[in-house]
Amino acid sequence: MKRILRCILPALGLLLLGGGCMKWDYGSIEEFEASGSGLFITNEGNFQYGNATLSYYDPETRRVENEVFKRANGFKLGDVAQSMTIRGDIGWIVVNNSHVIFAIDIHTFKEVGRITDLTSPRYIHFLSDEKAYVTQIWDNRIFIINPRRFEITGYIDCPGMTMETGSTEQMVQYGKYVYVNCWSYQNRILKIDTETDKVVDELQVGIQPTSLVLDCNNKLWTITDGGYEGSPYGYEAPSLYRIDAESFTVEKEFRFQLGDWPSEVQLNGTRDTLYWINNDIWRMRVDADRAPVRPFIEYRDTKYYGLTVDPRNGDVYVADAIDYQQQGLIYRYTADGEEIDSFYVGIIPGAFCWK
Amino acid sequence: MKRLVPIPILLLLCTALQAQERTATTSEAAAWHDEKTIAIREVPIWGRQPMKEIGVQKTRFDSVVLKENIALSIADILTFNSSLFVKQYGRATLSTVSFRGTGPSHTQVTWNGMRINNPMLGMTDFSMIPAYFIDDASLLHGSSSVNETGGALGGVVKLATTPAQADGFGLQYIQGIGMFKTFDEFLRLTWGNRNWQVSTRAVYQSSRNDYKYRNHDKKENIYNDQMQIIGSYYPVERNRSGAFDDVHLLQEIYYNTGRGDRFGVNAWYINSHRELPMLTTDYADDKKFENFQREHTLRSVVSWDHLRSDWKLAAKAGYIHTWTAYDYRRDPGNGIMTTMTRSRSRINTLYGQAEGSYSIGERWLFTADLSIHQHFVQSADKNIITQEGNKAVVGYDKARIEIDGALSARWRPTDRLGLSLVLREQLYGTRWATIPAFFADWVLSKRGNLVAKASVSRNFRFPTLNDLYFLPGGNPDLRNENGIAYETGLSFSTGKERRYTLSGSLSWYDQYIDDWILWLPTTKGFFSPMNIKKVHAYGIEARADLDVALSDAWRLGLDGTFSWSPSINVGEPMSPADRSVGKQLPYEPEFSATVTGRLTWRTWSLLYQWCYYSERYTMSSNDVTLTGRLTPYLMNNLSLEKRFSIPWADLSLKGAINNLFDEEYLSVLSRPMPGINVEFFIGITPKWGKGKK
Repeated sequence: MKRILRCILPALGLLLLGGGCMKWDYGSIEEFEASGSGLFITNEGNFQYGNATLSYYDPETRRVENEVFKRANGFKLGDVAQSMTIRGDIGWIVVNNSHVIFAIDIHTFKEVGRITDLTSPRYIHFLSDEKAYVTQIWDNRIFIINPRRFEITGYIDCPGMTMETGSTEQMVQYGKYVYVNCWSYQNRILKIDTETDKVVDELQVGIQPTSLVLDCNNKLWTITDGGYEGSPYGYEAPSLYRIDAESFTVEKEFRFQLGDWPSEVQLNGTRDTLYWINNDIWRMRVDADRAPVRPFIEYRDTKYYGLTVDPRNGDVYVADAIDYQQQGLIYRYTADGEEIDSFYVGIIPGAFCWK
Repeated sequence: MKRLVPIPILLLLCTALQAQERTATTSEAAAWHDEKTIAIREVPIWGRQPMKEIGVQKTRFDSVVLKENIALSIADILTFNSSLFVKQYGRATLSTVSFRGTGPSHTQVTWNGMRINNPMLGMTDFSMIPAYFIDDASLLHGSSSVNETGGALGGVVKLATTPAQADGFGLQYIQGIGMFKTFDEFLRLTWGNRNWQVSTRAVYQSSRNDYKYRNHDKKENIYNDQMQIIGSYYPVERNRSGAFDDVHLLQEIYYNTGRGDRFGVNAWYINSHRELPMLTTDYADDKKFENFQREHTLRSVVSWDHLRSDWKLAAKAGYIHTWTAYDYRRDPGNGIMTTMTRSRSRINTLYGQAEGSYSIGERWLFTADLSIHQHFVQSADKNIITQEGNKAVVGYDKARIEIDGALSARWRPTDRLGLSLVLREQLYGTRWATIPAFFADWVLSKRGNLVAKASVSRNFRFPTLNDLYFLPGGNPDLRNENGIAYETGLSFSTGKERRYTLSGSLSWYDQYIDDWILWLPTTKGFFSPMNIKKVHAYGIEARADLDVALSDAWRLGLDGTFSWSPSINVGEPMSPADRSVGKQLPYEPEFSATVTGRLTWRTWSLLYQWCYYSERYTMSSNDVTLTGRLTPYLMNNLSLEKRFSIPWADLSLKGAINNLFDEEYLSVLSRPMPGINVEFFIGITPKWGKGKK
């Protein structure tokens, strides 16, 4: 028996020694004080992995801080950070697959509240301090929220959609109307009366309008992606549309080649120049009659994923998602197209928000 | 309950058969009665390597390993007993297996000879394979897979059922009750005589699976009346939306003519309903969302084996039907769950195989093998409304024939040297691939059965049907993945009769895979596959098994594995900013190890299982961040079993503790794994009036 115990006990001891125990590292909470102007970058992260992050870049010092939400709050931002909007001193980060919108102090990055019970939120647009719209995918409703109370207060039913086919995206406001582009297997711009919270009109454009802006002449601009080959919804050459907000009619259509994948239409600070991605980075004055033939910034062996223009000085920031599995890189160019900085952020940098 | 209706019918059938013959006990039961003497595992101390295994790197799991914890799936068996990496999201959730730093779709899986990889995805969900249904399992690592099938750049997992060796009627029933309202039911009815073997197995597993865990990825806020945050904490949550309800039925009939011919019929039916657990970062109310998948699968094989002294013929035919459904719904506020996503897929596969072998003396063995899989796939991924206002479905409807033929010659010119050449030709749709492999082994020492092995092979993997045709994103222009692999190693086995056996192996491998297919997001909001990566996978696999009879009553078994498996991206950078070149692939651990200890005293058995995975990077650049870290983890399971024999039955009681040290760990980001949990099992095997003592 002793011989047996001599064999067994050391073996058991070894197993117990190697058995445990791991302790969870909660990380520490950091204090930030970002007082000047700056740029927030929402990094989507990988779908279903909950590794979205928020980065903050100071254009003056050219210093970037990554994972600021996690570092300031001690918990993760969530799964697929879709967009961010600032109102006052509060930044509203829409985290699509976490079904949540976080409100953070834009100087300390600390959470000040959150809105939950959303279906699959995409963008938030403020009408006042007590009223905002939140668009959704996989829902045929736009949610009305009270940002002060962090509550959902109502819904706007969108015509021609079911829960399964629902898709509303970016919003811009002209007078009392909010315009929304409908993207996934859709081809429309909706017009919402903000007094009645009803869709009062809709305008058909090309297949899958991806983004929407309003220029200095009160013209809406949207860019379609044209769908994809084999889609039962159709496949066509994408287009850039200029729409008169007042009459809600298409004024001009700039057609791309079939197979092009344009996206991310953006405006500069004076809202007189358009920028978009179509392999290269392109720009065009809003009153131009013809699309440019040469790109503003040439393709550099990568797929550009996000784009923004500094409203103060016209610097252009382009996001490179690289292989979508590592920290993406942001290139910063002057308004003349000269590269002046680049910095790594989080996985799949998709959207920007200027402070 | 309707699902279990066939069981009484089969019970009646077996009872009727039992009336014809009622004689001795089963060998299994006989082993139960023998309480005084404990046999140690049989290991060939010296003997010729089988001709079919010249140079082959193979891991075989004996029935003890497969039945150690009856509630486990094959994924769990592989986790604790092999050097493979098992990526899983918790019990009854997708579990994939990868060899040697390759991907899950580089692992081919066969069941009774028939490939069961999903032709749409290319991989196999091992959580859907209960260990109770598998009698024989083995792994063919790297090049060795070419002996079985093509396309397995990582390796092959071979699963099979075998005749029960029943003599008369037998019944086994085991019930498990565990935490989180987990219920496991296992039933096996067997009947056999000299020529016939009939077996019916049923497994029913259900659980709310709502284990508690501390959510480190989330904080709950405490607000004042003005909705200002005045405090926060990491909440203790339950695993939400994790329930499952699986039924498996397996019917086997074998007829042995006794003159060298054996016929078999195997049919395995699965009916699974599984919720998909919510992420740790999900703030949705689980009562307002439904997210679940269902699967109905029938796999059936008819086989004929014809054995003669120097040649053998075998033929198989089979059919697989798989229907899968994925539903994502939410309650928009009216109390009615409304569909957000509704996906359906239907796969029908026809299978046929013929193989033969012929040996000339003891020096030569020739084999030929031809298999055909014809897949018919319908995928309906999304319902949409067209521009004209009509309803339409986004999906595809495709068929593909997959023909795989192989010829091999094996030669043993001397007792010490074995050489083997395998030439395989594959046709998938209209794509061809030629797969050659060469193997050699050399007996370094007859004492200790020390054998050196080496192999080299070229292999291909064809794109899956989703890779080619999925809407949106399928890419019909994809090239085949291709790999070249080299391997060498040593194996030994030694022992002393009735005292101990010791066996082990050590192998080094080096493999390049080119045109690795990866699904990447596009700016259009969907993913699309591309031939992106070139990967260099290399490393060491080691295994040792010790079995010692400490005395007549005591027995100790120790099995261990160790794997060092760098899997490095050596392709061209995707852009000047790409930092992934020269780095370990994400989600592939560089190191892993397992140890299993078994201590048996008379009718008591103690089992200890331990496994270790090193850190898995979540980024291709191997950057470690606060948000994307998967730290190394150790896992420990312990079980204790006591067997009883009473005049009319054999009984067993077993208690199992999983995650003994209550580790908080993640296998995949945002997927919490259960802490310490306990399950009890009671088993009964009636003696039916035979062999009473």
